[in-house]
Amino acid sequence: MTLMNCILLASALMAIGVYGLATRKQAVAMLLSVELMANSANILFASFAHFRGGPTGQVFVLFALAITVAEVAVGLALVMLLYRRHGDTALDLASEARQ
Amino acid sequence: MNFDFGFAIVAAVIVVSALFVVRAANLIHAVLWLGVTLLGTAALYAQLNAPFLAGVQVLTYVGGVVTLMIFGVMVTRRHDGIDVVAQTEGADRGFIFASALFVVLALVTWKSAPHVPNPAPVASSADIARALLGEYLIGFEVLSLLLLAAIVGAVVLVRRRDPEPAGEPSPAAAAVSEVNP
Amino acid sequence: MSPVTLAIVATVAPAVAALLLLVLSPLRHRGAPAAWVTLLGSLVSLGAAVMLLVARLGGAPDARATIPWIEERGRAMAEIGILIDGVSLPMLIIVCLVALCVQVFSIAYMHDEPPRAFGRYFTLHALFLFSMNVVVVSPNLLQLFAGWELVGLTSYLLIGFYFAKPAAAQAAVKAFWMTKLADMGFLFGLLVLYVSTGGFEWTSAPSATVATWVTGLLFLAVVGKSAQFPLHIWLPDAMEGPTPVSALLHAATMVAAGVFLVVRADPLFALAPGTREVMLWVGSITAVFAALLALVQHDIKKVLAFSTCSQLGYMVAALGAGQAFAGFFHLGTHAFFKALLFLAAGSVIHAVHSNSLDDMGGLRKKLPLTTAAFVIGSLSLAGVPGFAGFFSKDLVLTSLEGKASWIPWAMLLGAAFLTAFYMGRLLIKAFWGELSERSSHAHEGNVAMTGPLVVLAIPSLASGFLGGWLATQSSAQYELHLGLTPVLASVMSLAGLGAAILVFRKGGQAPFTHVLEKLDTFSVVDRTWAGAYRIGLLGVASLAGWIDRYLIDGLINFTGWSALEGGSSARRLQTGLVRDYALLVTVGVLVLVLIGVLR
Repeated sequence: MTLMNCILLASALMAIGVYGLATRKQAVAMLLSVELMANSANILFASFAHFRGGPTGQVFVLFALAITVAEVAVGLALVMLLYRRHGDTALDLASEARQ
Repeated sequence: MNFDFGFAIVAAVIVVSALFVVRAANLIHAVLWLGVTLLGTAALYAQLNAPFLAGVQVLTYVGGVVTLMIFGVMVTRRHDGIDVVAQTEGADRGFIFASALFVVLALVTWKSAPHVPNPAPVASSADIARALLGEYLIGFEVLSLLLLAAIVGAVVLVRRRDPEPAGEPSPAAAAVSEVNP
Repeated sequence: MSPVTLAIVATVAPAVAALLLLVLSPLRHRGAPAAWVTLLGSLVSLGAAVMLLVARLGGAPDARATIPWIEERGRAMAEIGILIDGVSLPMLIIVCLVALCVQVFSIAYMHDEPPRAFGRYFTLHALFLFSMNVVVVSPNLLQLFAGWELVGLTSYLLIGFYFAKPAAAQAAVKAFWMTKLADMGFLFGLLVLYVSTGGFEWTSAPSATVATWVTGLLFLAVVGKSAQFPLHIWLPDAMEGPTPVSALLHAATMVAAGVFLVVRADPLFALAPGTREVMLWVGSITAVFAALLALVQHDIKKVLAFSTCSQLGYMVAALGAGQAFAGFFHLGTHAFFKALLFLAAGSVIHAVHSNSLDDMGGLRKKLPLTTAAFVIGSLSLAGVPGFAGFFSKDLVLTSLEGKASWIPWAMLLGAAFLTAFYMGRLLIKAFWGELSERSSHAHEGNVAMTGPLVVLAIPSLASGFLGGWLATQSSAQYELHLGLTPVLASVMSLAGLGAAILVFRKGGQAPFTHVLEKLDTFSVVDRTWAGAYRIGLLGVASLAGWIDRYLIDGLINFTGWSALEGGSSARRLQTGLVRDYALLVTVGVLVLVLIGVLR
């Protein structure tokens, strides 16, 4: 296990997350993709922490976890709103700003 | 350089389950596959000498976020008893961009060639606790405020506004229901 | 007091008066006090000028004092100050004396004006005298230009004094436009001079080419200011102003500023024989052309106006012949007798309440003093031997003798005949013959009116004898010799007078009156300018309008249009779909990373 491998893994996860974000229509599915991307960042933090030593990297992973949880909470609340407004969770519907 | 089977297996699990997350046709399946990815990540943390992180990952992500997601999917389902179809669109475009991103990131990684032969000494959970409540105390407290704000914000967002007369959907909802009866 | 102090006092006194009247509006609105302030200013000016003259007669040298003006990087771009020498001192005295006479005359002539207008009139007079003094004492061309423009402004204001009268307002605007058009020449001439020599001195000697350019441009301004053909058309119209104004500005002093400029800038003109050739011809043509038109005028002031054009033509021709002194001398004598003539005409108009020659007749019985003044002025203007005009005109004609072409000389001789002829016509029509109905009620004005006439009559008679002294002052050659030209000139003037008596005594008409009247009413030059205005200026204006509307505005509109179009095409980029934005963010990251890697 080398740092390079870890970074490559994180990159793959990030690319998959971008793919999901670009192709999924439902808001929840897009949130899932965002989670993937956040996870990829966490993996980077953790691996840097492992190879560098010291607790800082792990502390940052913890912070990132907390922020992700908050993001999911707010994101799901928005999804609820969207559903209530349009009867569907397809984010494409939420494009009024364009008109 | 000997081949690291443990890492290979964990990495394969993560990547494959992540692919299922973005490709699964059923939204519930996608959420469950995300659970697998997160578990894999927890395993990776364990391999990276971060057992505390692995525990937290399992607790908050697999226990909290995935459950929350499933709730989200359930609550926003239109019809009971039918699978929630996760629609996809523009797969080619997404693939091109995603692979381009991966290629570029890999290229950068390879070019900068971060080569650290010997892993540093392990940071124990006690070290992490000291850092959290010592060096990063302010960040820690601010984060708690952020969580509080997020929770309050989420509640405010989804709260029904009472003055809205029942049975009279907003014009947009009406338009949607005309299109999709 | 030192000469410099005196010169400054002479220049600034009218400015103090003008400033006082401008600032203290109650004083101005009261009328009569304004006149006294102005008169005091002029009197101080004249007194200082006379003291300067006395000092000079006592052997005082030229006085010059300047202070730097518009300093830039430690170097003065120009200087401002005074220069008192053999040219500016006589001019200063002429200007102050004539101005004082005219102002005194105005007290009586403008008596019936409401106090406010009366005060305004004298304020402008004080301002004019200051402006003219600035021109006269200026040590370089830049200050001269400043005074020149000030003079143009006061001229505009005074021509349009009766601004409620449409004709006067139009005449003022016309005079302003014509002279401004010409003044562009002055401005560009100054620019050329500054660029080529780095200064505004008339003594600086650039190359012949530069001198030709500068003098050519300056001469354009002279043509405008001194009412030379074909820019002369504003001067007859300027007679819409009060008659004393015509006497001071449009006969004696202001229109002579052009001649004064050439006399000043003589070293420059000496380097430009081409410009001088043009001047010679323009002056000669103007002298004859204006004299012919003077022959058929029925307005007494217009006769004098055309006569002024004609006499200025003499001066310009003399300058063109390279005899600056001859032009300057004629300027001096002309200032006196033309101011006298105009003031006498003012006296007549005041008595008859009409400008028209047809309303006059037999006035010599009613207005003996005015008649005497008018006769003296006329004879002087006609160049009858012994009178001031004779000496200067003789000098002008002599200076044309022996030039490459004899035609200008002959033209000016002819103009001399015509001058005597039209002045004879004027005299006979206005002062001799039957007493007309309006004339029968005429009576001489008070001493404020007759006094200036007497004062001005003296130099009109005698200033010709000062030629020798004036010549030594400006170190020019002057000798009265009995040659062919003086004799011919005398014969011409006497013949003109005689012919006038023969023709007009019986109420006859000049030969070719018909043709000339046609010429006058058809006013070829006027129409040409009006046409040029319509075709040229309006054409340019409409072209500019078109450019403004379609090119400039088009550019602006195109900017707006392209912003709108660009916006609506960029709008298509904004799909409102989150996944498209996600992709775009990815693209941005890719580009940034690639830049970082490949750099």
